[in-house]
Amino acid sequence: MVSVINTVDTSHEDMIHDAQMDYYGTRLATCSSDRSVKIFDVRNGGQILIADLRGHEGPVWQVAWAHPMYGNILASCSYDRKVIIWKEENGTWEKTHEHTGHDSSVNSVCWAPHDYGLILACGSSDGAISLLTYTGEGQWDVKKINNAHTIGCNAVSWAPAVVPGSLIDQPSGQKPNYIKKFASGGCDNLIKLWKEEEDGQWKEEQKLEAHSDWVRDVAWAPSIGLPTSTIASCSQDGRVFVWTCDDASSNTWSPKLLHKFNDVVWHVSWSITANILAVSESQQNEQ
Amino acid sequence: MEKMSRVTTALSSSALTGHTMHCHLDAPANAISVCRDAAQVVVAGRSIFKIYAIEEEQFVEKLNLRVGRKPSLNLSCADVVWHQMDENLLATAATNGVVVTWNLGRPSRNKQDQLFTEHKRTVNKVCFHPSEAHVLLSGSQDGFMKCFDLRRKDSVSTFSGQSESVRDVQFSIRDYFTFASTFENGNVQLWDIRRPDRCERMFTAHNGPVFCCDWHPEDRGWLATGGRDKMVKVWDMTTQRAKEVHCVQTIASVARVKWRPECRHHLATCSMMVDHNIYVWDVRRPFVPAAMFEEHRDVTTGIAWRHPHDPSFLLSGSKDSTLCQHLFRDASQPVERANPEGLCYGLFGDLAFAAKESLVAAESGRKPYAGDRRHPIFFKRKLDPAEPFAGLASSALSVFEMEPGSGSMSWFVDTAERYALAGRPLAELCDHNSKVARELGRNQVAQTWTMLRIIYCSPGLVPTTNLNHSVGKGSSCGLPLMNSFNLKDMAQGLGSETRLDRSKGDTRSDTVLLDSSATLITNEDNEETEGSDVPADYLLGDAEGEDDELYLLDPDHAHTEEPEYVLPQEAFPLRHEIVDTPPGPENLQDKADSPHVSGSEADVASLAPMDSSFSLVSVSHALYDSRLPPDFFSALVCDMLRFYAEQGDVQMAVSVLIVLGERVRKDIDEQTQEHWYASYIDLLQRFCLWNVSNQVVKLSTSRAISCLNQASTTLHVNCSHCKRPMSSRGWVCDRCHRCASMCAVCHHVVKGLFVWCQGCSHGGHLQHIMKWLEGSSHCPAGCGHLCEYS
Repeated sequence: MVSVINTVDTSHEDMIHDAQMDYYGTRLATCSSDRSVKIFDVRNGGQILIADLRGHEGPVWQVAWAHPMYGNILASCSYDRKVIIWKEENGTWEKTHEHTGHDSSVNSVCWAPHDYGLILACGSSDGAISLLTYTGEGQWDVKKINNAHTIGCNAVSWAPAVVPGSLIDQPSGQKPNYIKKFASGGCDNLIKLWKEEEDGQWKEEQKLEAHSDWVRDVAWAPSIGLPTSTIASCSQDGRVFVWTCDDASSNTWSPKLLHKFNDVVWHVSWSITANILAVSESQQNEQ
Repeated sequence: MEKMSRVTTALSSSALTGHTMHCHLDAPANAISVCRDAAQVVVAGRSIFKIYAIEEEQFVEKLNLRVGRKPSLNLSCADVVWHQMDENLLATAATNGVVVTWNLGRPSRNKQDQLFTEHKRTVNKVCFHPSEAHVLLSGSQDGFMKCFDLRRKDSVSTFSGQSESVRDVQFSIRDYFTFASTFENGNVQLWDIRRPDRCERMFTAHNGPVFCCDWHPEDRGWLATGGRDKMVKVWDMTTQRAKEVHCVQTIASVARVKWRPECRHHLATCSMMVDHNIYVWDVRRPFVPAAMFEEHRDVTTGIAWRHPHDPSFLLSGSKDSTLCQHLFRDASQPVERANPEGLCYGLFGDLAFAAKESLVAAESGRKPYAGDRRHPIFFKRKLDPAEPFAGLASSALSVFEMEPGSGSMSWFVDTAERYALAGRPLAELCDHNSKVARELGRNQVAQTWTMLRIIYCSPGLVPTTNLNHSVGKGSSCGLPLMNSFNLKDMAQGLGSETRLDRSKGDTRSDTVLLDSSATLITNEDNEETEGSDVPADYLLGDAEGEDDELYLLDPDHAHTEEPEYVLPQEAFPLRHEIVDTPPGPENLQDKADSPHVSGSEADVASLAPMDSSFSLVSVSHALYDSRLPPDFFSALVCDMLRFYAEQGDVQMAVSVLIVLGERVRKDIDEQTQEHWYASYIDLLQRFCLWNVSNQVVKLSTSRAISCLNQASTTLHVNCSHCKRPMSSRGWVCDRCHRCASMCAVCHHVVKGLFVWCQGCSHGGHLQHIMKWLEGSSHCPAGCGHLCEYS
């Protein structure tokens, strides 16, 4: 049904937990239980190891590429409770920041849309979500949402940058006033939507309830075309839901069951035009 | 000797039962040890020394060995061990260097048996010989190990490690005379109990102190050692040199290590700092613990498997003053929680997917597949054209086509590069784009372009015939209605565009209206299908009217038909957008045979009512509104654009928006347009299509978008006198307060075009500088710089 066009020998010594392609689709970052993060150049079907990043002391769960306008930046999160931000400077990858604000395994990292600046959301097993904002000169500002999900947070995903109200009156050059939002999924079987208030605090905006077991992944669809909001979620219970919110003012979300698998569904991933959803399930079925 | 006969340690006929449970102790524990009957556990610490019975539901305190009024330092235990052959025999190591043995068989309250005060400092470890009732070994902070015969008053032999403090001593299970000792300096020594003069073997096992070691109960040559360097190493001691077989990296320094009974590759560890959890590792899987016990709130100090042949019960004592029994099945298993798969959509529609190489677990179900090296695998997938939008239906989700080598986003790149967006008349642009789309096999899009051309380009040509024709149509008002019916019928029966044509060809009741626009497409591209039929239809239409009248009618027919025609497109456009290759006849045939036809049929059916209602509306307009300016369709075109955008094809939306310009712009709100532009530009940039992206930015009418081109352009200007960057104003230097824009040739202030060398900041009037450079390449200001102008 699908064909393997390329196999990358990552030479990771243990299970690979995540693989992410960068913005231009030229590089692939993988992370593994063996504590390493590797970056491969995959242009033209090749596979050249560019960097082997060591610094975590536990299995690395997830990696995330920042938008290239900020340079080549990769974030990784690990069982060792740390989030490490790596940066390429003059061809070599180095750790630029280490965030140690969590009390348990950090399960998910996600960069905010580039319009917001360099902001990273991290979801952890300690139930908290922290937001790291780059304030310049190597400084990162940390905001923490405690008890975002009881037992733990498994996934975070940012909403695409959509501007409320019209842009027409904006004086050019001034930053438009975005409303920052992201979704998180956790061990309380819930998906929660968070919104930044005007005072910069994050507030729970919505609680989406449909899964009967841990939510494993959430993915906010890229907003292409009409600004209807769509979120895909998958869970330990084998179900994949697609949530849509047509009416932004009432902020009501309706779930649609996409499919019920027999086993845990680990990942959901949208294609860039948001019309194809990839789902991965533990029976090695690639949907 | 009667006790000796019961030395076998086989699991009693009734297997152990119990729960995960804990009990509170009066004081922090330093060590625990289990009686060989697996029913009692002794807990020892600085101020505790008690025996608990392990019952089904709880721990019951059985005996307090701390007797006497004033607490003796001899009772401050660093370690405790219960003899594995004698239920009544225990030994403790005291922090003051005393080794005490206890005989539970003594009738008095004080069970203390022997007292050896030979070590000078804390005794870290005591160990009974596994098969000898009277042999006890101790290891102390003072660097010595002593072997005691419990039948004598003092030690039999003393072993000097010649290095630092002894942290652990363990009798080998395999060799009667051998024991291993670990040291603060990272060494491990192997001794023969009969040769106290020097060790048999010594090697450096860890960086920093080796806190513990444990001989494998089955693989008897294996020794596990744990150190402050956070590692557990497994050594094969049977070879000439100790060989490292496995290395497990834990999160914190390793204080205790214990092989798990009956599980060859499992061992339990706990830490003396930071981490309070107990981990069970599979040594073959050195990075993720197989199981984790999280009950303790403070550092775990002692761990012991309850029975040497039962892998499921683990006992532990902790600084948090609790004694716990852990059941393996209640352990949290980080391996299970760990995500075994990585998934990511690549730019070109390819999918990076990392998964276990083998999902079939090894025989025990708990042991992971040995040495599982896992690779991410690339899948390139192609969507089945029959798949409904977003694959919302479950069946459609599981259907893919094997299409190696064709990236499903290549159409995007090709289209973006080849589309013409400006610089030519609208009709030409439409034609060109239609052609491009068709060549890429995106017939639906091609058709849309053709339609747009018809809508927007022809009215100017035939302003008068509109009336003429609508009268004619008014007289045959059954015609448009029939037309819409036809369409509906078709839509229901149709799986594909080609079939649309085919059925058209077959349906004799077809009208001119239909064909007039259909031919536009079929004439051009569908030779491979029923091309021959369609011209026949055309002829049929021809026969109905005069030649030139029909010719004039054509565009107008297209008008009336537009709503009907555009809408069916909306019913299944995704097929055409996603298809990478031109749908050849066989291809379509396949699809018709595939079960997916039903899906698309259903899809179509659900949309059919909309078709008809729309067509009816349009028909009424057609009947009563004699003039059909292009404005009339703009709402419809906008709908179409929205629809394309919603399908993920912003490219189409933006391209049409640009090409049509003012014609539709006013009907779509600014914000939506902006959003489309932004999305499209972002996509283009992801595909590194900078030129196209720039063109789009330039052509965009939205202010927010067009200002993008100015956003990141910065001009750095240096003062020509002091060479400092000019910050606030462009003309006057802040530092030297002189006008910076002096012409270096004529020494006048330059108004208008000013050229300057970026190297030395000198410059002047364009003409002057050009003239100057003809004669000399040095700076006219005389600074000696070889100026470069690009």
